[in-house]
Amino acid sequence: MMRSICFGILLALATGFFVWGCRDRLRLMLAGRSEARWDRLWERLRGVVVYAFGQRRVLRRKFGRNHFIIFWAFMVLLLANGEFVASGLNPAWSLDFLPQALLCPLRFLFDAVSLLALLAVGVAALRRIFFPPDYLASRYVGARSGEAFLILGFIALLMLAYFILNGARIALGSMHNASWMPISRMAGHFLGGLSPRTLHGVAECAWWLHAVVLLAFMNLLPRSKHMHILTVIPNIFFRKLEQPDLPSREDFSSGTAFGVADSKDFTWKDLLDTFSCAECGRCQEVCPAFQTGKPLSPRDIVHNIKIHLLAGGKLGPLVGAFGEGHCSGEELWSCTACGACQNICPALIEHPGKILRMRRFLVEMQARFPEELYGFFENMEQRGNPWGIMPAERERWAAAQTVREFVAGKTEWLVYVGCAGAFDSRCQQVLRALCRVLDAAGLDWGTLGNAELCCGESLRRLGNEYMFEKMAQENVRCLQEHGVGKVMTVCPHCFSTLKNDYRAYEADFEVWHHSQVLAHLAQSGRLRLAPADLWGKVLYHDPCTLGRHNREFAAPRAVVAASCGQMPLEFPRHGEEGFCCGAGGGRMWMEESTGERINRTRLREGLALAPDTLCTACPYCLIMLEDAAKDEGLELKVRDIAEITAQALQEAG
Amino acid sequence: MTGNRGVARLLPGKCIGCGERCLQSCPKDAIAMDAAGAPVIAPERCVGCGLCVRACPAQALEMTGGAGAVQVEAAANSVGGDDFSAWHGVWVVVEQFAGVAARVSWELLGVGRELANKRHTDLGAVIIGHRVEPLAAEAARYGAQIVYLLDAPVYASYRTASYCAAVCHLVEKHQPEIVLLGATGQGRDLAGAVATRLATGLTADCTGLDIDERGFLLQTRPAFGGNIMATILCERFRPQMATVRPKVMPLPEPLERPSATVVHDAFAPEEAFVAVKVLEVLRAQGESEGVDIAAADIIVAGGRGLRSRENFALLRELADVLGGVVAASRCAVDAGWIGHDRQVGQTGKTVRPKLYIACGISGAIQHKVGMASSEVIVAINSDPDAPIFQIATYGIVGDLFQIVPLLTQHIRALRGEAISA
Repeated sequence: MMRSICFGILLALATGFFVWGCRDRLRLMLAGRSEARWDRLWERLRGVVVYAFGQRRVLRRKFGRNHFIIFWAFMVLLLANGEFVASGLNPAWSLDFLPQALLCPLRFLFDAVSLLALLAVGVAALRRIFFPPDYLASRYVGARSGEAFLILGFIALLMLAYFILNGARIALGSMHNASWMPISRMAGHFLGGLSPRTLHGVAECAWWLHAVVLLAFMNLLPRSKHMHILTVIPNIFFRKLEQPDLPSREDFSSGTAFGVADSKDFTWKDLLDTFSCAECGRCQEVCPAFQTGKPLSPRDIVHNIKIHLLAGGKLGPLVGAFGEGHCSGEELWSCTACGACQNICPALIEHPGKILRMRRFLVEMQARFPEELYGFFENMEQRGNPWGIMPAERERWAAAQTVREFVAGKTEWLVYVGCAGAFDSRCQQVLRALCRVLDAAGLDWGTLGNAELCCGESLRRLGNEYMFEKMAQENVRCLQEHGVGKVMTVCPHCFSTLKNDYRAYEADFEVWHHSQVLAHLAQSGRLRLAPADLWGKVLYHDPCTLGRHNREFAAPRAVVAASCGQMPLEFPRHGEEGFCCGAGGGRMWMEESTGERINRTRLREGLALAPDTLCTACPYCLIMLEDAAKDEGLELKVRDIAEITAQALQEAG
Repeated sequence: MTGNRGVARLLPGKCIGCGERCLQSCPKDAIAMDAAGAPVIAPERCVGCGLCVRACPAQALEMTGGAGAVQVEAAANSVGGDDFSAWHGVWVVVEQFAGVAARVSWELLGVGRELANKRHTDLGAVIIGHRVEPLAAEAARYGAQIVYLLDAPVYASYRTASYCAAVCHLVEKHQPEIVLLGATGQGRDLAGAVATRLATGLTADCTGLDIDERGFLLQTRPAFGGNIMATILCERFRPQMATVRPKVMPLPEPLERPSATVVHDAFAPEEAFVAVKVLEVLRAQGESEGVDIAAADIIVAGGRGLRSRENFALLRELADVLGGVVAASRCAVDAGWIGHDRQVGQTGKTVRPKLYIACGISGAIQHKVGMASSEVIVAINSDPDAPIFQIATYGIVGDLFQIVPLLTQHIRALRGEAISA
């Protein structure tokens, strides 16, 4: 009786304190800007099943199995702990009312998962002590942080207290269904020698230990990274459903501020993201910037926003300064927008969108950006291309051939040349190769000639949303005026922008990447291809924008297979986990002076496979990887899939 | 191309109804659209700027008429009109920093002398600053006959508002027909502000200045990406204003017996009216020791083909005998062979030297955009397919480690002959 009252008071206090902690954070979160995330409920629920209960992303890394065990132990023990709390208030409230057929397996299950959880936290602690992977630590939180061990200790204590309590009860003979509880019975066996009085004392101590640790654990949740236990399921539910995750549009009416300057300028979902981070560090493990020694860690970005939010304005501006609770320009400009962090995050946190909106603030509100971008922005504004070349020179790439003009209502395909294809002499070769292939397949195509503009992708990733918006409107209007129905691009950046970003500007044309067209032509037998010998072993590099962002992994590989007679070799990191070439996110137009160069890091990764040809499907990747091969002094051939196809065509005669 | 190019006209049947590109391009709102989406041009408003002709994707617009076909109504506050008899003198606005004049100002006095002679008028120099009186004598040595001196604390540092007010004050008081400025950061800023305030024309970055038979200033500058040279007239407004980049005009020989009238003018805006305050003047890092490749006439640049930091010595030798500077492509800078202040290209500096020698540079677009407008490009590369040869004036396919020393040796020999002769 005495225990019930004491426990009742303790429970009330702990619950109050817990609710207070949660409410604080909930209020901060709801103060964020509004964002609609309630559509397609069914799809959202299915995601919860897959990503939360199925732990799909967690299991992408080997050690995720350990988390899987702890997660499901938690789920099962929720019931056991519910019983514990209820019977603490009134001993009559227990699961014993259940039929034996259900109760007995349940008792066994409780026993079994408790043991598994105990083992799992033991393994986790040993891992943290003896083999902590690099990614567990970041600038602000170490792998061996006290908090991590405290939580592991709490879980272990809960399990031990559970076994001792049940063991003592079994030894006292006061436990029903003891035969279904092998581990507890073992504990009871150990305690068997004690006197009933001592056993009562042991049971009482174990009970209180379990009670206090349970309540302390509950209260630790909202105040630590273990907040994710409460927030990840809603975070998964409210995840971005669109693939790829597109940046939101800005409101350019007068009087509005652009981008995000303060943690409170983020949307409620962004803030929920920050509370959902379990600090596992997988994002920084896959981040090309972090991995090559740049100051950016996606995990720190999320952490800093949270710290800034919790400090409630005491830290000054979020964007600009460097340190905990701030996001500096150096960090934000290091991002290549490759999306690897967002793609790996088990909690489905959306990092790149946050970085982008802070870039917008720097560009559109403060005009603070790396010096190299002055020229880039000016060129885009004045000449509609990144290099500031005269628009009248756009057609020159076709020098050797006659320029094929797109005629509305007659021409089937518009080949959207893109700036690299039009102006860069290396990429011009790719364009010419593509033309030969298209002609051989008898495809009806044309270009816009000098009327084409840059798609504006880099502008958007660099946070210059205003100029992007202008160019997007102009481009959509231009394409619609020309009556374009089907567009083909060589550049995945053009592809994704035309296909996805322009939908917000009422674009209604069909967009294909040339890899898709080539794969289609090869598979439908419209191309006569004979594998060429000169390529040797071919290694394929996934462009992030084509692969991870637009899920096109198969087509370029099919093109390589059709043109070389065999599937390409794969980088250790390929497909969904492909590693950036370093040019995305507008990094193409910036210096890379800190740390290792990303393109060389990527190239070296593939060298163990001893490839003779490195193949890709993106002008940016082509430029970056060819540059890396030259820097490394290699005789490696770097080619676009169109060039490989054109060669196979020539071989076939 | 002159300032009086006639009126835009629509060629029948050629308009594709592209969606008002001509309308949007017109600075004078002289174009309206009819129901079919074709332009209707109001000739009385057209100033013949030709922007719509350029904007038209279907070549459906052309310019007709010509000299005298247009009547431009001068803005009420402008000094436009046809009677410019009151306007006399050629002026150069001297740029100075901490009492040291920019060389381009003296270069402008050289060309200003020729213009003044042709117009039978005086050459004036405008000097604005604080404690800058010694510059008046220097201006006189370079040929100025009248020096307008505005010396006041408010002019201690360059600020657009105070300097613009000063120049406008002098122009309105003395009515010069021509005002020249250096196309430097400061000069471009000031010239634009002054021209706007005076509602007159301004031609930036002129490469040639002359006087036509009517006595008007002929301002020649490259247009359309350097594809053509445009000669621009300012027929209806005074003063005629132009900026010229440094080193375009030769530095005149200083006069042995200079004589100039110094006109002191006490005009000085109240400090309170100048919103911008200069708190501190910071020099860009490395500027003092480094060389500004953007200003060099001769550049010898090296790329990946150089293979090591030590090999840059070859280029330095060649640059030394030519009196030029050494620059590099991005990868040479990244490899640490040379400093970033020497980088030419998209993310480095844009250069326009008279001679650019590219050694072991393939000419990727990122580099090309930084140097393509050099006057003469000599490319040395072992790869005959290197894109640099597409833009090179002279291409040498071969090993730069043989060619560069040979070149150095030959030029040195030629120089030696020249000296001994």
